[in-house]
Amino acid sequence: MPIVQTENLTKVYNPETVPVHALRNVSITIDTGEFTSIVGPSGSGKTTLLNMIGGLDKPTSGTVLVDGVNVTRLKDRQLINFRLKNIGFVFQHFNLIPVFTARENVSFIMLLQKKDKKEMRQRTDELLEAVGLGSLKDARPREMSGGQQQRVAVARALASRPRFILADEPTASLDTRAAMNLLDIMLRMNHEEQVTFIFSTHDQRVIDRARRVITMVDGIVEADEHRK
Amino acid sequence: MLMHFKLAWRNIWRKPRRTLITCSAIVFAVVAAIAMQSINRGSYEAMIERMVSFSTGHLQLQDYRYEDESSLDNAFPIDQTTLELVRSADERIEHVVPRLETFMLAANEEYTRGAILLGIDTDKEHRFNTIRNHLTEGRFFEPDEQAVVLTQGLSSRLQLGVGDTLILIGQGRFGMSASGLFTITGLLEHPIREMNTQAVYMPLKTAQGLLSAENHLTALLISPQRERHTEQVAASIREVFADSELVVFTWPELMPELLELMELDLAGPRFITAILYVVIGFGFLGTVLTMTLERIREFGMLLSIGMSRGRLVGVVFLETFLISCLGVLSGMALAWLILRLADPIRLSGNAALALMDLGFEPVLPMSFALDQFLMQGLYVFFMAMLASLYPLVTIFRLNILDASRK
Ligand SMILES: Nc1ncnc2c1ncn2[C@@H]1O[C@H](COP(=O)(O)OP(=O)(O)OP(=O)(O)O)[C@@H](O)[C@H]1O
Ligand SMILES: [Mg+2]
Repeated sequence: MPIVQTENLTKVYNPETVPVHALRNVSITIDTGEFTSIVGPSGSGKTTLLNMIGGLDKPTSGTVLVDGVNVTRLKDRQLINFRLKNIGFVFQHFNLIPVFTARENVSFIMLLQKKDKKEMRQRTDELLEAVGLGSLKDARPREMSGGQQQRVAVARALASRPRFILADEPTASLDTRAAMNLLDIMLRMNHEEQVTFIFSTHDQRVIDRARRVITMVDGIVEADEHRK
Repeated sequence: MLMHFKLAWRNIWRKPRRTLITCSAIVFAVVAAIAMQSINRGSYEAMIERMVSFSTGHLQLQDYRYEDESSLDNAFPIDQTTLELVRSADERIEHVVPRLETFMLAANEEYTRGAILLGIDTDKEHRFNTIRNHLTEGRFFEPDEQAVVLTQGLSSRLQLGVGDTLILIGQGRFGMSASGLFTITGLLEHPIREMNTQAVYMPLKTAQGLLSAENHLTALLISPQRERHTEQVAASIREVFADSELVVFTWPELMPELLELMELDLAGPRFITAILYVVIGFGFLGTVLTMTLERIREFGMLLSIGMSRGRLVGVVFLETFLISCLGVLSGMALAWLILRLADPIRLSGNAALALMDLGFEPVLPMSFALDQFLMQGLYVFFMAMLASLYPLVTIFRLNILDASRK
């Protein structure tokens, strides 16, 4: 069942001055439960594509359908709500609220969703255990390593029970071990919680473990490879 | 809600030093503003108290015709019942002082001067004001004596002293001639300059006899325990005398020029306070500005993950609100403490001598009126809230992608 569909997605930055064609007629379909990585050289449009799918930016032309809803038509306020309900985000840096503990960071998103207190507490604990941070629940971001912070971000992204998770280079600032560890967790969550992951990466070891690899070059989908 | 509060509270302590400095600036502004206001209001109130007690009283009950034509013909009869009615009109009434006042000529064998004759009930007058302390020579008269106390200005113009005889010439009620000879029992330096050149004090009974105004008064002075109750007490008395020919005036109505003068006096400090607030306002804006700029990425992240702009604005507003509350409340507390410890400020040097010359204690009294604490606090608070508009606007206009690239 398709969860994300883009049709002829095109993005041109600075169309009036120095036009940059970041995306050219990108049409892809991503099904529920996929573990998809978007790869390509720097400047090939990976971030742009993820931003379009996440409703963080508007395309120049083309559409993005999430669960059949045309995201490009939504207004700012609807988009924020849409993201809260449907999408979990993991960014490369600066994912967490610095003054909140791991536990609070994870709960916060459920609070925004007005989830029940008890459920909130239970799920937070569950998720932090699942990403291997059972002992750091009360630590603040600056007391954690980069890898640990990214794991909290993944837990946070999962906490809202989103339709899919978008992660833009989640491992880029991590060393190999932390990167592999994060990827293991993401894979396991993909299995256990049936959450769809769409993430971009440069990292060959990460790419090797993805089950679908979409390769972008100059804003065009150059290859789309499914593995088993 | 609790979570949002927690977020705001911790955010303000992210840079504790900055928050403390900002708070201190607010505390300083509040303390300075309150101290200035308190001293000003204190001396303002003391000044009103003096002026009023030596001249019109806080309130006056008069015949309604007296206002337009201040003649003895418009004096009103006074009896025990009327006095009772006044006394029981409002429990905040402290003094009720009778006056019979008219314009006369004062003379010795050679010279004649215009004078204001004040028939007073010595007992009540002395309880009401400190005129007795302003005697420079001699004594006050007994209630039935054919005697006067002369103000210094008048005595030197007429070259009369204690023991000499003063001639008073004028008209009593309904054109009856009124003149007589009176022994001067004392001289006094009247604290109000214009009065010092004109006033002649006489026992009420004697004055009523002289002026054919037995049992009549031109005014009944009424003063509440506190100046600020003047209007309320006036209202109570008005109610009681609604159907009579007697009307009540308050001191601002009786002496509008005094009120203007004081307003003028207060304008300077108000201006300084306003400048202080603007300076503090900009200081606070500086803090808020850096606080906003260094958190743009965080704001972008929060908007990305689905926190609505409204909620984010709520949290940031709460932060500035908390900082200013902290500053304002501690400022108010500190101001109160400082003022309590300092009150009343004893003056020394020339200022003290000048006041003592006038017969006053050389102190700067302070006002502890609650409303001025609240008002100053509110002003500062308002400035802070104004400054907090900056992050609010920023958040509402923030482009998420720009924010995450910062
Ligand atoms: N806001 C912008 N204004 C102008 N050009 C932009 C903007 N954002 C991206 N671009 C351009 O669009 C192209 C695609 O950028 P994008 O960030 O999507 O690439 P990327 O694949 O994510 O690269 P990287 O691997 O370095 O993150 C680039 O040429 C980039 O310079
Ligand atoms: Mg990128």
